[in-house]
Amino acid sequence: MNIWKISVENIKSKPLYTLLSVFMLALSIALLLGIQQLKTSFKYQMENNLGDIDLVIGAKGSPLQLVLSSVLHLDNPTGNIPFKEANKFGRNPMIKKAVPISYGDNYKGFRIVGTAPEFMTFYEAEIENGRQVQKSLEVILGHMVAEQLQLKIGDTFLSSHGLVDNDAHVHDDEFTVVGILKPTQKVIDRLIVTNLESIWDVHDHEDHENLDNHEDKEEHEDHEDHDNHGDHQDHTDDEHHDHENHEHNDHEEDKEITSLLISFRNPAALLTLPRRINEDTNMQAALPKYELNKLYEYTGIGFKTISWIAYVILIISGMTIFISLYKMIKERAFDLALLRTYGASNTQLIKMVTYEGLIIICFAFIIGFIFTKAGLYFLFNYLESGYQKTIVQALPISEALQIIGLVFAMIILSISLAIYPIIKMNISTILSNEK
Amino acid sequence: MITTKDLTFSYKQEAHTFSFPDIVLKEQENLLILGKSGIGKTTLLHLLAGLLKPNGGSIFIDDLDINSLSANKLDAFRGKNIGLVFQKNHAVRSLTVFKNLQARLFLSRKNIKNTVIDGLLEELDLIEYKNRRISALSEGQLQRLGIAMSVIHNPKVILADEPTSSLDDENCKIVIELLKKQAEKNNANLVVITHDHRIKSFFQNSITL
Repeated sequence: MNIWKISVENIKSKPLYTLLSVFMLALSIALLLGIQQLKTSFKYQMENNLGDIDLVIGAKGSPLQLVLSSVLHLDNPTGNIPFKEANKFGRNPMIKKAVPISYGDNYKGFRIVGTAPEFMTFYEAEIENGRQVQKSLEVILGHMVAEQLQLKIGDTFLSSHGLVDNDAHVHDDEFTVVGILKPTQKVIDRLIVTNLESIWDVHDHEDHENLDNHEDKEEHEDHEDHDNHGDHQDHTDDEHHDHENHEHNDHEEDKEITSLLISFRNPAALLTLPRRINEDTNMQAALPKYELNKLYEYTGIGFKTISWIAYVILIISGMTIFISLYKMIKERAFDLALLRTYGASNTQLIKMVTYEGLIIICFAFIIGFIFTKAGLYFLFNYLESGYQKTIVQALPISEALQIIGLVFAMIILSISLAIYPIIKMNISTILSNEK
Repeated sequence: MITTKDLTFSYKQEAHTFSFPDIVLKEQENLLILGKSGIGKTTLLHLLAGLLKPNGGSIFIDDLDINSLSANKLDAFRGKNIGLVFQKNHAVRSLTVFKNLQARLFLSRKNIKNTVIDGLLEELDLIEYKNRRISALSEGQLQRLGIAMSVIHNPKVILADEPTSSLDDENCKIVIELLKKQAEKNNANLVVITHDHRIKSFFQNSITL
């Protein structure tokens, strides 16, 4: 027998009280952890996915949309820009890296991005097995894509047009998987990466077919057709453009890209280059960090509100624990006094009550963690019915520790307040009032 | 051995001061303290147990002035040397009969084998309730458990506060005889305070407050 065993017996002798306290505390821990994890995932997704992309050049339109589409690969692009014109900026000496990307297709909801090999260096992505794309229609799969679609090196697939999975508009050109990337926990995990030529080839081919088969059709109809697929307008423009210039299709200079991702050598360029592009060209330059911060500020209010609710719940459960411990100490005053007559010191009684509190906390933490994991799992399974494959970010240990620390501080405070009557206990009075 | 001299005590809120007659008990001597309610019987018992500090006078148990001990030492001394029996509450409610005795021994810092506990439970006719919780016991069984709790650690003094008030005549006799027997076995002084005149005949020494 020891103090610990007495505490365990005490806990066992009142299962309902224990269960309720544990459940209440677990719920608030789960809520706090869950919100923190969502917030972290969201922020991480946004910030980390920027890689070292400082600037995006794309078609005029909403800068936020441009950033969402070209950097986070979430929204539809604003349109296309001429490759030639974009490349002029790419040669600026203040620029470290300028990587063109071009969209157009997806495979089962995962976007196929036509780009240059340097694209991967934005995300420090490495090839897990296989090799780089060497010729048109070869692709490298992000880790999550390979995992979810169960694709291996050498597998082939047909892409569908647009950025949303659909059966209505499937291309005839087969893509071949030549490489799979290591997991990066960044946006590239859910992308299918190929070279620019692949995208051009698929769509040129398509355009030829379109020309052959629907030569008599009005462009206007073509336009509608694409909108129906949830497609973006620029593709129509692209095709439009190709209709007009299709005899020059093979010259890279006349090609279009969706956007140009830029990282600077010299941060001073941030001040001059965007203005030059926005004022002097038909293109726009958007700063991903700035745009996402704006977005984050908006959504931050929601997270803040939920966080506050969670803190309120935590305070309530702290109070519940305090009240139940306090009540328990009052109700068990005679038992505690008896223990004192058996030779127990005040310290031993305090230890006993503290252990009881700690047992409740430990169970609450375990159950709280399970709640969080299960809750997020169901939440994301539910959300992933959309085309956005969201990654739940593991909560950084420092943040988890912060929450755990907070909960512990709260509980220790409740326990110490509840213990106060033990310190003040007058054994003689309690024993004389025996009823 | 218990010796008290010129004991006085007053509760903070009250003006009245209790003065107690001197007590001298040699080894194995028992004492019955009789008196009406409110006369200070329980106060005297708590003074003897070191649960209260007297305003004046001294208490010696085995030649040790218990009021010279620090709070922690007094807790330890009480745990080791004193056994208290109460009127109604005899053991901790969240523990079983056996675990109560184990906990008591742990807190008294005494090492006594489980077989000895079993032996005592056998003697007090409680062995079949060994693994029951306190709430499952009857009044008489509880009182016997109270005795077990007060003697399991071989105390020097057994102090009983109205041990028989809520018992019928038969159980009253059983309890007093058990108490006397256990005190004798442990070579301890037994002090009983009561207003129950039924037990007067069991004691040679008695004082009335």
